[in-house]
Amino acid sequence: MTLRRGTLLFAVVALATPSLGAQTMRAFSASRPTKGERMLRATLDFGAGRVVVQPALPGTLYRATVRYDAERSAPVHEYNPRTAILRLGIEAVGGGGVRVTSRAQLDQTGRFEFSPDIPLSFNANFGAADVTIDLGGTTLVDVAVQSGATRSSLAFSRPTKGECRRASFTVGASELDVRQLANAGCETIQIEGGVGRATLGFEGAWRRNASVAVALSMGTLTLRVPRGVGLQITAGRFLTSLDVAGLTRSGNVWSTAGFASAPRKLTIELKTSMAGVNVEWID
Amino acid sequence: MRPGKGAVALLLVIALISASRLEAADRRGVVGELSGRVKHLIPAILIGDPGVAPQAVPGADAQGPSVNPARLDQPAALERQLRTALRRPIDATRLTVVGGAARLGHYSVGSAETLHGHIVVLEGDVDIHGRVEGNIVALDGDIIVHPGASVIGDVLAIGGHVREAGGNISGSVQSLEAVPIAPALSTAALPVVIARRAAGFVGVFLVLLTLGFGLVTFGRPNLEIVSDTVMHSFGRSFVVGLLGEVLILPTFGMLIVGLVLTVAGALLVPFGIVVYSLLAIVAVLGGVLAVAHAMGETITRRRMAQGLRVSPNAYRYLLTGLLALGVTWLAWVAFGWVPIAGGLILSAAAISTWFVGTVGFGAALLSRGGVREHFAGRIVPPELLTDEYLWATPQFGVPAVKRPAKELEE
Repeated sequence: MTLRRGTLLFAVVALATPSLGAQTMRAFSASRPTKGERMLRATLDFGAGRVVVQPALPGTLYRATVRYDAERSAPVHEYNPRTAILRLGIEAVGGGGVRVTSRAQLDQTGRFEFSPDIPLSFNANFGAADVTIDLGGTTLVDVAVQSGATRSSLAFSRPTKGECRRASFTVGASELDVRQLANAGCETIQIEGGVGRATLGFEGAWRRNASVAVALSMGTLTLRVPRGVGLQITAGRFLTSLDVAGLTRSGNVWSTAGFASAPRKLTIELKTSMAGVNVEWID
Repeated sequence: MRPGKGAVALLLVIALISASRLEAADRRGVVGELSGRVKHLIPAILIGDPGVAPQAVPGADAQGPSVNPARLDQPAALERQLRTALRRPIDATRLTVVGGAARLGHYSVGSAETLHGHIVVLEGDVDIHGRVEGNIVALDGDIIVHPGASVIGDVLAIGGHVREAGGNISGSVQSLEAVPIAPALSTAALPVVIARRAAGFVGVFLVLLTLGFGLVTFGRPNLEIVSDTVMHSFGRSFVVGLLGEVLILPTFGMLIVGLVLTVAGALLVPFGIVVYSLLAIVAVLGGVLAVAHAMGETITRRRMAQGLRVSPNAYRYLLTGLLALGVTWLAWVAFGWVPIAGGLILSAAAISTWFVGTVGFGAALLSRGGVREHFAGRIVPPELLTDEYLWATPQFGVPAVKRPAKELEE
């Protein structure tokens, strides 16, 4: 009798056992067709995980596909047709800000696409994320990317359509790799970095002269510049090694020969401390 | 024709007829539409489950559940609100929709219809053939926008999909996947889990037992000295073990740095790493076995004191001690799957094992690996510990005090 009761109790408890700590990953998607919008001001927030940003198909204003940890995060999708302000991404449940509390959060993924035809002002904030952004072919007005402990890869695989006024990248303890910046055609480019490694490649189709301001501490900056582009570097540095082969020094300014008469000019203002700056010439 | 075959044939005919009406939709839309219809026909025809009967949801009272689908920015929050509103039986559900109406079960808007206002459909699909001027939300159902249909607003499918089968949606299209139902530990899986853990436990137990028997056979004096150190200097062993655990890595670092700094010693770095690691492992494992030996000896002597006739030997001590140490792990094997309690049992087993390891490690350090007897409670020199001497000459307690003076003088 006792054995039977024990067996019964065992069976009841076994059947009543809830799930054993399974992850609650959920998928969310949102999209919107274009309706003659003049502008799209997009803000993207993504705390932890892998993120891909790329142009959407024509006729789509934006498309987001997110897979997130439902126990700790919630999807964000806000769009106001009157102001054309869009907010996408995932946010921590409870308003605790960006905080990686589990490995599951690093399994989160997000794919965000933006219209290639509508002028785009793009602002992104990433926490512990692995970010791949390609804004080539978009009608880019300005771009600002803030990233924390991330690996960010940003490229402009095709020339953008708009008149890009400003590109800004702020990186924390992370790795930033920006390629084909010439395709972006941005008038000014700002890089602010903490501990990390940054690579800026100015490959692509040059449409205008570019001005770059770099503030870097305890990091390594590599500038990849096409041959033939006039380069001038103004360096305000502290404990910084500067490897600028092929440039002539005059005080705090390093310039290529014939900079004033170069058809395309790249002006770089460096403010670095305990950093290393290298210039690589590419053919 | 058997009833089962008839039902399948009927299902196919209905599906084909439905497909013929979807000429305007693209190929993907047709496939999605067909799969959707088949999905809902199967339970209706074969299982006999008609789903939720389509009906309007009455509005709730002032304090009752209410949703405003004018903005669909927070799909997860809206889902919580809707699921909270659902009642069982389903007919008891009440929900107020600001600027619209709520429905239960499958809902369809005819091609000649134009609806103004938001639509919230619970536990059913939404088929739009006409025009809707408002937002549409479906909970646990799909939203299908058929050819010629138009939605002037946003659509959100929670636990379902939005299928644009040729219709037009002017606003945003959102879908939130259903909460994945975690695979509960079934009664079939439970024995497998327990068997797997039991196999692991038996494996570890047999390995420790084999090592322990080897130690008893080839290093019994050392094992007994460490075991006696555990029994006679328990607290001291724990403290020393704790300090040893803290200092084990810094000491290792100092050893390597010291070797690297000396030119000749640099060559011995790999050798030093291997030897130090082996010594640490031997100290911890030997210490655990010594604690098991001490526990087994104590248990055996208590049983003998109760009149049980057993052979007191080191092998028995070790076996008894290891079984005693494994009791908490056995409890985890049997009941580790129980929520909360399983975690507590695992924590208790891990903490007790760490405690035993720390004491054993400390005893091994104190006794220099079973060489030094200072903390083992052995005051009489070992050369005097012969059976004849101990039998004839009491060294401790009342018999020693009562020894005749004459004998002492001799």
